[in-house]
Amino acid sequence: MALIEVSEIVAGYGVGPDILTGMTLSIDEGTSYCIVGPNGAGKSTLLRTIAGFLKPRAGEIRLQGKRMNGMRPDQMLEAGVCFVPQDKTLFPTMTVGENLLMGGYLIRDRALLHQRLDMVYETFPTLAERKGQHAGTLSGGEQQMLTLGRALMIEPKVLMIDEPSLGLAPMIAEQIFERIRGFGSLGITVVLVEQNAVRGLESSDWGIVLDLGSKEFEGPASGILADPRIRELYLGRQLASKEEHR
Amino acid sequence: MTHTVQVLVLGLLLGGVYALMASGLTLLFGVMRIVNLAHAVFVLVAAYLAYVVFQALSIDPIVSLSITMPVMFGLGVGVYLLLFPRIETSPRYVEMTVLLTFAVALVVEGLLTFIFTGIFRSTRPGYVTDAILVGDLFIPTGQLYAMVVSLILLSGLWAFLQLTRSGRAIRATTQNRTAAQIVGINVRRTSALAFGIGMALAGASGSLVSFLFPFFPAKHWQWVALLLALIVLGGMGSIKGAVMGAIMLAVAAAFVSDRFGPTWSPITFYLALFLVLLVRPQGLFGAKLRL
Repeated sequence: MALIEVSEIVAGYGVGPDILTGMTLSIDEGTSYCIVGPNGAGKSTLLRTIAGFLKPRAGEIRLQGKRMNGMRPDQMLEAGVCFVPQDKTLFPTMTVGENLLMGGYLIRDRALLHQRLDMVYETFPTLAERKGQHAGTLSGGEQQMLTLGRALMIEPKVLMIDEPSLGLAPMIAEQIFERIRGFGSLGITVVLVEQNAVRGLESSDWGIVLDLGSKEFEGPASGILADPRIRELYLGRQLASKEEHR
Repeated sequence: MTHTVQVLVLGLLLGGVYALMASGLTLLFGVMRIVNLAHAVFVLVAAYLAYVVFQALSIDPIVSLSITMPVMFGLGVGVYLLLFPRIETSPRYVEMTVLLTFAVALVVEGLLTFIFTGIFRSTRPGYVTDAILVGDLFIPTGQLYAMVVSLILLSGLWAFLQLTRSGRAIRATTQNRTAAQIVGINVRRTSALAFGIGMALAGASGSLVSFLFPFFPAKHWQWVALLLALIVLGGMGSIKGAVMGAIMLAVAAAFVSDRFGPTWSPITFYLALFLVLLVRPQGLFGAKLRL
């Protein structure tokens, strides 16, 4: 059974126009996804809607068969859906350690909380070194690691990450992608939205191409990367510039 | 020399109560971005409540904290849930909170005038006319009690925010509302709780104010202007800033009043505010870090 089923979702901000215009897709457990598409295709809006930050105007969101429409973000997280938005959402004047503990806000068992904390420090040794430092004083890459580490605290079923490489130097971004690829082995289903489509697809199993608020195409990530038609339509400029480097 | 210390002590004693009032106001701004123009009118509501239980049941205003605080907490949660979710999604949310709380202040002031008329009231427990002499220093007993109670409550607030799960949720919501939602905090419930706590602090201040200053319904405008100056000075949303600002300004006002006469003491607050904003627009303890 699909972990998340999104059917015919329509959503937009405030009184503005529909950004998602009838989106249908499904997320299976154990597969890693990368959602790509041009600016304004509705990639971030899709994640925000699934995470409960935006109420769908129509359509249905199901998690393991259960209808989740209109749930608050905290209820979605409790149900196992964790969202990492693209703007860095840390607690700037709390330390790295406090930020991670806040990530486990929903965990009431203290022993489990500290076990998770050790696990995150193991995954991100840099964070262990910076334990007592205020989150606001970290570098961009470290802040992204902290955001991801904080999401791991809750061991979500699904981790939706919006633009993890945004604003990071290529080498740092590479490290981040490497860690994200490792999340699968923790039993976490990763859904990635990535501006750098090629890099995103390279580290995912399945690719979903969005355009103008609905799904245009989906298939194995390697297939999308190899399909000249899709490359030209949706990944064109980035691919071309990447190939020039090679 | 003794005279200088005397003025300093009197300033410090009043600073405690200002700090208590300002901490509630800055908490509301920090957590919910509510500029609560009705804060001082709620202090007055609690002062009238303390007045009524003092007159009718002879309950000492400090003892009546045990009544005013829970009543104001409940009133705060009710007012928040009734009024604020309606403007939550407004694109001009902060401006809307100013208008909304201004309206609340007018309505409550009208009700208070209707019930209690415009004459000056105050509770007169035995100790308000007492004083303790420490060497040559003259310490008014009522103000000393008010300072001690304020310190206890502010320490309690600090401990609550630092050590409890709900306190952490409030601090997290203050620092970054979206991040708070991301880690699973129900921000509406947290906001209602913070509003209740801010109102409970206003309630405590009201009990103390009831024997410190004679009051009448329109008095709150004077206080809220002063409180807003205090929290802007300390850095909007910073409780430490509000407390430091309140104590510093109460002391400064005491010295100005002593040197130039009490007419000039209120201007101290606005002059200090003006100077601080020139040098540090974010306030003394306002956040500079932006994420």
